[in-house]
Amino acid sequence: MGRYILKRILISLATLLVLVTVVFALVRLMPGDPFSSEKMTPQVRQNLERYYGFDKPVLEQYLTYMGRLVRGDLGYSMKYANVTVNEIIAKAFPYSADLGLRALAIAVSVGLTLGVVSALNRKKPIDAVCVVVAIIGTSIPDFIMGYVLQYFFGIRWGLLPIAQYKGFAYTILPSVGLGFYTLALVSRLMRSSMLEVVQQDYVKTARAKGASRFRIVRKHMIRNAILPIVTVLGPITASVLTGTFVIESIFAIPGMGKFYVSSVQSLDYTLVLGMTVFFGAFLVTANLIVDVLYGIVDPRIRVARG
Amino acid sequence: MKRSLVVVACALALAATGCAPKAEKAEAASPKVFRFSYASDIPTLDPQMGNSMPSATVAFHIFDGLTRMDNGAVKPGIAESWTVSDDGLVYVFKLRDAKWSDGQPIKAQEFEYGIRRLMDPAAASPYSFLGLLIENADAVNSGKMPVEKLGVRAVDDKTVELRLAYPADYFLGMLSMCQFCATRPDLVERYGKDFAATPDKNVYDGPFMVKEWAREDRMILVKNPNYWNADSIALDEIDILIVPDENTALAMFDAGDLDLVRVPPAFVEKYKDRVVYYYDGSNDFIKLNMASKGPLSDRDFRLALNYAVDRQDFVDITTKGLYDANPRYVLPQVAGVDAAYGTEYPLPGFGVRADVAKAKDHLAKAMARLGVADPSSIEIEFLTSDTDRSRAQAEIVQDQWQKNLGIKVVVKQVPYRQRLDMESKKTFETVFTGWAPDYSDPMTYLELWTSDSPYNHGSYRSAKYDEYVAFARKSTDKRARMDALFAAEKELLADGAIVPMQLRRESLLVNPAFTGVGTYFIGTNYDLVHADRASK
Repeated sequence: MGRYILKRILISLATLLVLVTVVFALVRLMPGDPFSSEKMTPQVRQNLERYYGFDKPVLEQYLTYMGRLVRGDLGYSMKYANVTVNEIIAKAFPYSADLGLRALAIAVSVGLTLGVVSALNRKKPIDAVCVVVAIIGTSIPDFIMGYVLQYFFGIRWGLLPIAQYKGFAYTILPSVGLGFYTLALVSRLMRSSMLEVVQQDYVKTARAKGASRFRIVRKHMIRNAILPIVTVLGPITASVLTGTFVIESIFAIPGMGKFYVSSVQSLDYTLVLGMTVFFGAFLVTANLIVDVLYGIVDPRIRVARG
Repeated sequence: MKRSLVVVACALALAATGCAPKAEKAEAASPKVFRFSYASDIPTLDPQMGNSMPSATVAFHIFDGLTRMDNGAVKPGIAESWTVSDDGLVYVFKLRDAKWSDGQPIKAQEFEYGIRRLMDPAAASPYSFLGLLIENADAVNSGKMPVEKLGVRAVDDKTVELRLAYPADYFLGMLSMCQFCATRPDLVERYGKDFAATPDKNVYDGPFMVKEWAREDRMILVKNPNYWNADSIALDEIDILIVPDENTALAMFDAGDLDLVRVPPAFVEKYKDRVVYYYDGSNDFIKLNMASKGPLSDRDFRLALNYAVDRQDFVDITTKGLYDANPRYVLPQVAGVDAAYGTEYPLPGFGVRADVAKAKDHLAKAMARLGVADPSSIEIEFLTSDTDRSRAQAEIVQDQWQKNLGIKVVVKQVPYRQRLDMESKKTFETVFTGWAPDYSDPMTYLELWTSDSPYNHGSYRSAKYDEYVAFARKSTDKRARMDALFAAEKELLADGAIVPMQLRRESLLVNPAFTGVGTYFIGTNYDLVHADRASK
């Protein structure tokens, strides 16, 4: 088991190294540069390039960057003068994580419930309602959902705050907006998964043995039907995290998305790189955990992959 | 499996209720708080590194220059009086007894330090070009001279002397900008790269000081009790919220969460009885690259392009008439001799409507010279940014040129930064671009097009134009100087060196409970120094 985990960790680190190198090259290949502005003069540009060390050979810049990265130093942002990328991430990530977790919580809890209810009431009106919700959720992009929620609940009816992130009431609209797509996805998956389980012999057996309906649903159906959902939780987390970009902008939430977008627009090399490395490390770690968990849960995987 | 699910469910439930980042509630009604928003965070509050409208606007409220701009007029700031030598080259400022927000007295040496820091190549200020009119500034900024040779000197604790390379009346106004403000050497040394990164890592000498700064979230300014003129300040607090989406910002204003908001052109009609208009100074035009051997090197062809655009249609379609069609080059609002330049020197320019007959006339002359028989064989590229708005603008110009001249126009859209890069590398034929003024004088627009200007991306060369501008740089006779600048503007247009397009007129909604909310067209956009709220 130890060897298996070690191997996964090494692979993850290699993935990160490739990611950093590729992104480092890509940001520099993007047309334009962080100093471009209407008022830039060759003299000022030269001073700035020297200040940021861009006058040195690219390989040297890369090694310098990697040297700092190993020590966990992501460098100073260029757009947000005098602020380190570490500080920016430390302040922004909690907002995105909070928003993401709330969205996931809503998506998973409501999505599972809808899926189960819908499957158990197949072909009844309540099933139709759940299916419609699922279709709406999967077909409307989250930014439209964000605007729609903001317009009706915030502006039209004045029930909830329009924007910002200053307390529980402020979190509701963005979380729902962000989680809606995932909610729909989970409910659809759960519904089909439940419908499949219903046909299984063990369910019939349980029913034949006279187990109560509640017990069958809880112990035999949900427990087995939920496995595919657990499998997709990884990719779902990733999609929710990237979805925060748009939602954060609509609801004026100071999370990672806002910084990411503005760093790309202003070609803030260090910030683009730092954020990508951070997101990359986040996803690689999530995958690592999933891999390790699989290994623990199912020895066959450990043997096959190890 | 069951247990882990329960744990996950609990964690999710907890997340849904518990751990929102904390934030204090807005204060009750009594303090006078003014709230507005920016789409993106203030890039920096380091005075010499200021490089944008938001930075300059906040700096205007937290720093005080030797002078202070008040609604277009130069008023005393930290300097209570000054003298200017007859040749207009030597300025001597007497400082008042003013204090920093930490109680330390403001000293002449701190102005000397700040202005040297602006021009010091090692400090790499992106806005150092502002100070190039100071004696030896160019040599200092390019590292050819030590920074001590710069034409700024603290004569004693209360006297600053500034020497210029050439006379410039607008210099007094420029000194109100944060780039020329006093800066504390002890703090720059103590904090190094972190100087001014957080509110506690700098001190303030303006009407307000920074109390809180949460990046991409909000900035809170509070009244500075140590400001020399603190008694004249009515507001207790200014909240700047970062709201990227302009529709959201407008909704927040309607809900009473903001006291000032910029109205997007699409909504101006809806609010037209309540909006306040103001020019932010931005002047959009089409740069023409004359360096090529193609048709753009021909004066008549450039004039044809100028007469073939219908500027009025252009602004009506792209901004619903919000922006002003601009038939000339210099922003009419900048200072002339006794009044606004546009009032003293009116110029019909190319007119706001297309003049197709004139355009065709010039085109025919150009074609004869270029040896082209069929206008449709002429193809030019129109470069612009990759936003939807840029596309709409480009398509209208494309349509007007193609229809009125019969030439072929190809639109090329690239990201903003790439467009700027292509402009400076001169790899464009025509490009939609613009300029915002740095000081209130026609020179701020006209100095772009001299043969040696780093901004002359169109490679415009005119000995006459250079002469007019050179004369204006030397002359101390205000009228003769302004006449020369006007002659330069006319020369530029007569050569069709650019295609002027529009002046940006923005529309604002301001909470009517507030008075004295000012706007300005140079550097800063909002002026809340004299803002007040009628007591409830």
